[in-house]
Amino acid sequence: MKRMLAVIVALALALSLAPPAGAQQDTLAKIKETGVLTIGTRTGSPPFAYVNKNNEWVGFSIDLVEQLVRPSVEKAVGRAVKVEKKESTPPTRIPLLSSNAVDLIAGTMTDTPQRREVVDFSLTFFYTGAQLMVKKGSPIKGVNDLAGKRVAAQQGSTNAKILREKYPQAQLREFPDQPAAFQALLQGQVDAYTNDGIQLYGLKAKAPKPDEWDVVGDFYSEEPYGMAMRKGDAKLKAAVDAGLKTGFESGKYFEIYEKWFGPQGELPYPVSAQVKTYLLKQIGK
Amino acid sequence: MSYQFNWSVLWSGQSGNWLLQGVLTTLAISVLAWLLAVALGILSGAMRTVPWKPLRALATFYVEFFRNVPLLVWMFFWYFGVPPLLPRGAQDWLFSHRAEFWAGMFALGVYHGARMSEVIRAGILSIPRTQFEAAVAMGLTTFQAYRLVIVPIALRLIVPPATSESLNLLKNSSVALTISVAELTFQTRQIETYTAKAIEAFTAGTVLYLVFCVGIASIMARVERRFAIPGLIARGG
Repeated sequence: MKRMLAVIVALALALSLAPPAGAQQDTLAKIKETGVLTIGTRTGSPPFAYVNKNNEWVGFSIDLVEQLVRPSVEKAVGRAVKVEKKESTPPTRIPLLSSNAVDLIAGTMTDTPQRREVVDFSLTFFYTGAQLMVKKGSPIKGVNDLAGKRVAAQQGSTNAKILREKYPQAQLREFPDQPAAFQALLQGQVDAYTNDGIQLYGLKAKAPKPDEWDVVGDFYSEEPYGMAMRKGDAKLKAAVDAGLKTGFESGKYFEIYEKWFGPQGELPYPVSAQVKTYLLKQIGK
Repeated sequence: MSYQFNWSVLWSGQSGNWLLQGVLTTLAISVLAWLLAVALGILSGAMRTVPWKPLRALATFYVEFFRNVPLLVWMFFWYFGVPPLLPRGAQDWLFSHRAEFWAGMFALGVYHGARMSEVIRAGILSIPRTQFEAAVAMGLTTFQAYRLVIVPIALRLIVPPATSESLNLLKNSSVALTISVAELTFQTRQIETYTAKAIEAFTAGTVLYLVFCVGIASIMARVERRFAIPGLIARGG
């Protein structure tokens, strides 16, 4: 029995030590061959990427890929390219990239130094910070009121990490996706739900009774969103960045922004002067 | 890109502690759920074979209802569906006393109880009918015949499939992460979040599940040899 166990463990280790099959070729070369750019995105994060009332998979991040990144990739490979979408969540998105299941993560992924060691990020396409969502009239007004309170967060998100490190007195409950975490808040399993502010506003707008919920507190983290690619995939990164850059320069980016976050958009959220400066600074303006 | 392995992420920082916490939670929820599953399994498995129709119908309903709905749905049912049925005070008490853990335990225990029931029923049906008739002829009531004769023999016959079912239960405990139970798989994801080293973290989880399962299987193999009934179960190796 002991010997068998040793053999099994050795086998498991050997398998996991072997480099993942097909480790890195040039993604653009692959796209040129197949004509398909596969992105990993969210299904429950309005208005970035979600399934809407008509059962269509849409959102701001998806539009950026379709209207800015895709033309740029098409130019780079010299043929028409189709965008295919797969679902990705915070815990699965990096493995999806490393296993070549997707080529680009375009959802709500925050660009962090730790993640930069493993994946490459595009230019920042959105800038927000973590806040809290609570039932109207809750005593929780910000992150400093969380002592002893039950707080839901998305597993694998930057917010959960910051909360655990800086506010250990809060009782953290981590859920794999946004709908489950929000459901826990709706039913009172938790006292607050933390996520990036913009996502909380998105969720509030889509809630059965939006008036019952409040988004409170100052940003307690900085969350610049980027699109992620396999590390060292320089050609794809160049194409993605070129697409976003063109969008910033031509104003197309702000048109798409207006569509989702403008006064008539899915979720009115005017781009602040500070954020606009931040976004344009990336392209040297 | 060739993936850079860095196995030290598994013991540096808080990772070791998280893995340990995950292992303890996985074992705690599995053991409690297993006890519940075995109790429900014996009860309903025996009830499905008794010569009284209402009891059989009740047990059949339990088995078919619970084993034919995905475990994930049961997790959500016990966590999101059950608390609103309780009075407000009980809800608040539950939410501040590890509601996730208990919901996960019930989901796992009740679901696997239904599956365990079938294993036990199969064991009972494999016992010649004459055993039961002989027990009743000796003057035992039906309940006594089951308690003293039928169930003890059945339990000795079903060790191999019951082992398999128990290993499934242990592995299925990972589904509880969907309702925020910080068990082993949850903790390996946590390590992945902090270090972005997915393959190392998931390998650690895989190896730990494997070690537990092989360990349990080898203990059960001993139990099987010790309790096998000569003539009723073929003895291998």
